[in-house]
Amino acid sequence: MSVVSRGLQSLTRREILRFVRRPYNTFLPPFITNILYFSVFGVILGDRISDIGGVPYIQFILPGLVVLGAVSNAFENASFSIFHGRWNEYIHEALTSPLAYWEMVVAYVVSSALRGILIGILIAGIGAAFTPVRTLANPFYAVAFLGVITTLFAAFGVIGGLVAEDFDHLTVLNQFILRPLVFFGGVFYSLDALSGVARTASYLNPMVYMVNGVRYGVIGVSDIQPDTSLVVLSGLTVAVLVVDVWLFKRGYGLTD
Amino acid sequence: MPPAIRTDDLVKEYGDVRALDGLSLSVPQGSFFGLLGPNGAGKTTFINTLVGLVRKTSGTAEVFGHDVEADYRDARDAIGLAPQEFNVDRFFPIREVLMHKAGYHGVGEDEAADRAAEALETVGLGGKAETRFDWLSGGMKRRFMLARAMVTDPDLLILDEPTAGVDVELRHDLWDVIRDLNDDGTTILLTTHYIEEAERLCDQVAIIDSGRKVTVATPDDLTERGTDLVTLTLDAAPTGTPAISADGIDSVAVDGSTVTLRANSGSEAVPIAVRQLEAAGHRVHDVDVSRTSLEDVFVDITRTGGDATDGSGGSVDPDTGDDGDAESPEVTL
Ligand SMILES: Nc1ncnc2c1ncn2[C@@H]1O[C@H](COP(=O)(O)OP(=O)(O)OP(=O)(O)O)[C@@H](O)[C@H]1O
Ligand SMILES: [Mg+2]
Repeated sequence: MSVVSRGLQSLTRREILRFVRRPYNTFLPPFITNILYFSVFGVILGDRISDIGGVPYIQFILPGLVVLGAVSNAFENASFSIFHGRWNEYIHEALTSPLAYWEMVVAYVVSSALRGILIGILIAGIGAAFTPVRTLANPFYAVAFLGVITTLFAAFGVIGGLVAEDFDHLTVLNQFILRPLVFFGGVFYSLDALSGVARTASYLNPMVYMVNGVRYGVIGVSDIQPDTSLVVLSGLTVAVLVVDVWLFKRGYGLTD
Repeated sequence: MPPAIRTDDLVKEYGDVRALDGLSLSVPQGSFFGLLGPNGAGKTTFINTLVGLVRKTSGTAEVFGHDVEADYRDARDAIGLAPQEFNVDRFFPIREVLMHKAGYHGVGEDEAADRAAEALETVGLGGKAETRFDWLSGGMKRRFMLARAMVTDPDLLILDEPTAGVDVELRHDLWDVIRDLNDDGTTILLTTHYIEEAERLCDQVAIIDSGRKVTVATPDDLTERGTDLVTLTLDAAPTGTPAISADGIDSVAVDGSTVTLRANSGSEAVPIAVRQLEAAGHRVHDVDVSRTSLEDVFVDITRTGGDATDGSGGSVDPDTGDDGDAESPEVTL
């Protein structure tokens, strides 16, 4: 028998179909937002901003926008799906089944990470239409970073979905925690633009490592050495997954 | 052979509320077991402890010998639950909801599709397979809950008020479905406020109140425990209450020319009463016996906090029923 039980397959499939069957909700918003980003920051402003590390500004922001779209979609998918299932109580269908707690977590995380990756690819495609990035500078890093960070944020999303008590909490998590991290995470600027405290503080922002990792993978430019980032981020991902499983086991937000 | 359900001293507290107050219950394999009790008695809490939706405060609970926490996967695999509150996936048509549920229980894709079709057919929803749950009528929603509980082919089917809001004809159809499953060996745990339903279907019922077991018995035994009402109409109003006494006759009351008796057995009391009345010079003109229904017994038991308890009822605090909501005569039935 394979490690992937039929139960795990079913829940993962259900979770993937949930967003694939609603393409207008899933793919249209990031499509439009990113066309706006690339038009405004890349084309209109980009010409007035000098090259960073020898790369045109539009190419510099492309990996950042991929990260932004990928992690926020991974996070939102996991948190929304779990929260909505709790709200309408249909998450009981999975909870009262013989799935192991770790399997429930894996199903939510894998499907949400997949959504993040699909959106990341979509954004890269839009970017490629605006600026000629045709090959990946370091494919291994591009793939590895994208995989790890979407998993990490899907795992965070699981926690968000379990602790949220109403729909507003989900918005708060997104607007007040995720957005600032992303915007100060070096999506739109290089750390070289910062000095002193701002620069030091940036090294505490996990997003900085993610953006730079993907940037290194895509265009070969990075403020930070990628190997250490990858190891640290992987470690963090495992830690958050462990917390997820523990919360499911405790029934946090799931049982009375 | 372990019982289908066995709980020992099960306690669940919600803050100050003790929803389950040391409940010990055993449901034999293959039985059709009724769980009765007024609103708030703890029936749903009890059920949810078994499937992992409620974390018990203390005590033990096992399903076919599997501890509901330590062996949660085996325990849950054995159970098919039709809950009281609707909790159905809204993103998918009901056929797919059933397939997913079967899949979570390890059923392969083709088999899951067959079972989903069959379960929908069984509850009369074959024509609605591609509809979302939200678009079903109230009674159809109820029936769907039964289909979803059946689709995993459970050894223990738990039905929390499965026929609330279902029309009479369909209710009888659902009873047939459930009875067939029981005949094939599925253990059934049923909660209902339709006492008639319990009386017809169950071979054992437990009455619980305020999280405690009041009694466990067969429906027949319970009805036996109730008192019958005998009404005798005399030719003329007697002066004072006529003396009628015999074992099994609890009370005598008179109103005009009508004499009413409370007796353990109406049919035994009638000849005695008639003989004694005629011996005293009265002429009995009409006799009517109304047997207690299980419903009367139920109301009686849950109102008095267990006066009708036999030895098996365990420790029942005589005070529990004397105050608060349990006293309300309008136990929803
Ligand atoms: N999530 C909860 N939080 C707090 N109290 C609860 C919760 N669920 C149930 N209770 C309380 O526990 C007690 C038992 O409730 P339960 O739902 O088990 O009753 P029941 O026997 O199923 O009633 P009904 O016939 O109305 O369905 C009630 O006093 C109820 O208010
Ligand atoms: Mg209930």
